[in-house]
Amino acid sequence: MSDVMIRLDEVHKRYDGQAGDAVAPLSMEIREGEFVVFVGPSGCGKTTTLRMINRMVEPSGGRIWIDGRDVTDVDPDELRKHIGYVIQQVGLIPHLTVAANVGLVPKLLGWQRDRIEARTAELLDLVGLDPAAFGGRYPKQLSGGQQQRVGVARALAADPPVMLMDEPFGAIDPITRARLQEEFLALQRRIRKTIVFVTHDVDEALRLGDRVAVFGEGSRLVQFDTPLGILTNPADDYVRDFLGSGAAVRRLGLLNVGDLRKPEPADRLPLRVSSGDSVHSVLERMLRDGADRVIIEGESTEDDRELTLRELLMAGSAR
Amino acid sequence: MPFHEYVLRNAHRIMFLAAQHVQLVLLSVAVATAIGVGLALATERAPRLRSWLLSTTGVLLTMPSFALFGLLVPVLGLGLGPAVVALTVYAIFPILRNTVTGLETVTPAVVDAAKGMGMRSGQRLRMVRLPLAWPVILNGIRVSTIMLVAIAAIGAAVRGPGLGELIFRGLARIGGANALNEALSGVLGIVVVALLLDLSFVLIGRLTTPRGLHV
Repeated sequence: MSDVMIRLDEVHKRYDGQAGDAVAPLSMEIREGEFVVFVGPSGCGKTTTLRMINRMVEPSGGRIWIDGRDVTDVDPDELRKHIGYVIQQVGLIPHLTVAANVGLVPKLLGWQRDRIEARTAELLDLVGLDPAAFGGRYPKQLSGGQQQRVGVARALAADPPVMLMDEPFGAIDPITRARLQEEFLALQRRIRKTIVFVTHDVDEALRLGDRVAVFGEGSRLVQFDTPLGILTNPADDYVRDFLGSGAAVRRLGLLNVGDLRKPEPADRLPLRVSSGDSVHSVLERMLRDGADRVIIEGESTEDDRELTLRELLMAGSAR
Repeated sequence: MPFHEYVLRNAHRIMFLAAQHVQLVLLSVAVATAIGVGLALATERAPRLRSWLLSTTGVLLTMPSFALFGLLVPVLGLGLGPAVVALTVYAIFPILRNTVTGLETVTPAVVDAAKGMGMRSGQRLRMVRLPLAWPVILNGIRVSTIMLVAIAAIGAAVRGPGLGELIFRGLARIGGANALNEALSGVLGIVVVALLLDLSFVLIGRLTTPRGLHV
């Protein structure tokens, strides 16, 4: 097991004049190189929690450790130079070129010019932008997806061990978003950063996270587990509702056939369904309950029909 | 004598007064810029003081300039002093207001990202917020400047320098030889000065607006 990179110990936030905590006391450990996604509805405190890690929001209490160091009381500006930060609106500085935006943190850190230039080119390359073509452009001349690539490159500039990402792909069209997610996963496999990523999109959370932290109303952490663990054993009805329908089918997306073992033969009761149910929902329920046949209820018991899973698959096949 | 002949004969004096006029205006605008931008920055965490300042400097602007110049004479005497003080008072409001507006219109996400990268508050101001607010601030300075070119003429009432002298002297002896020409040359001189200054602001704006903002 790898070392702990981020440790939150009873961290909480309460705003003056507000009843109740914006974030209830929260403790969690995030391992080095781990990709953790915070997911939950709006107002559940996931963004506030993220922003407490780099002290963009000052915690009201509790302690934060990064890489074994208590950072609760260090100079926040100094702390932030060593934590990558990506936000939904990107926030590129409009009057600086792409290259200058990416090289900003190294410049703040006092790097030599040629080192900054080399690093900038390397990073633009890493996020799939040709440095020669894009380095001299201004943010306004880029598409939303390109801007966020630059945002990611900028966050990586000083090679921080930790990256905080607040809905980075939230404002991007679905097609580009899917591509960016995929590319980012591939990138993460190479750079192995410790990432905390906030989203309200369950699918995005399950797709990207090594582990997913589900936040509930009242800013409590309801479940913190791998995507497979969450889909297999949702902690409670809240998580089940939040996952929405189709959890059983979605879980299949996280399993490889090679991982499956031959199940013990067992007698399963047939699933009773009505003729108006969609094939999709019936398959989902069969998968959930492990049923291998269904009884489609008719007007009366004599009209009931039985179909096996095999028949259902063949009848529903597109061929 | 026809007007153009009057101007040619008095070209030296008119040019001298025009130069004085420009200097008076630029000096006052410079002082007002320091005060206006300074007040806008100093009151960032004091919104009440800021709105009080905005309304107060706004009200000062409605004070008739002739009266203001007059009121300052007992305190500051005649000449350059009261002229600069009065003009500065008038110039503060547009600059203060535009600095406030300019800083407010900077996209919060840009400042948030800059902060998240570890830029200190002074660095954020110098490297991000002021450059982005600059076109709006500059426009405030421009409005003040053009306004002062006109108001500065009244400064001649307290023996302030500039083209106002031609107008006041001409009007004082109206009916006399070349009285109208004298007053008219003052008025036209002011129009020309205003146009030239406005033009130079367009140029300064072009040169100093960061490229990334108008691509």
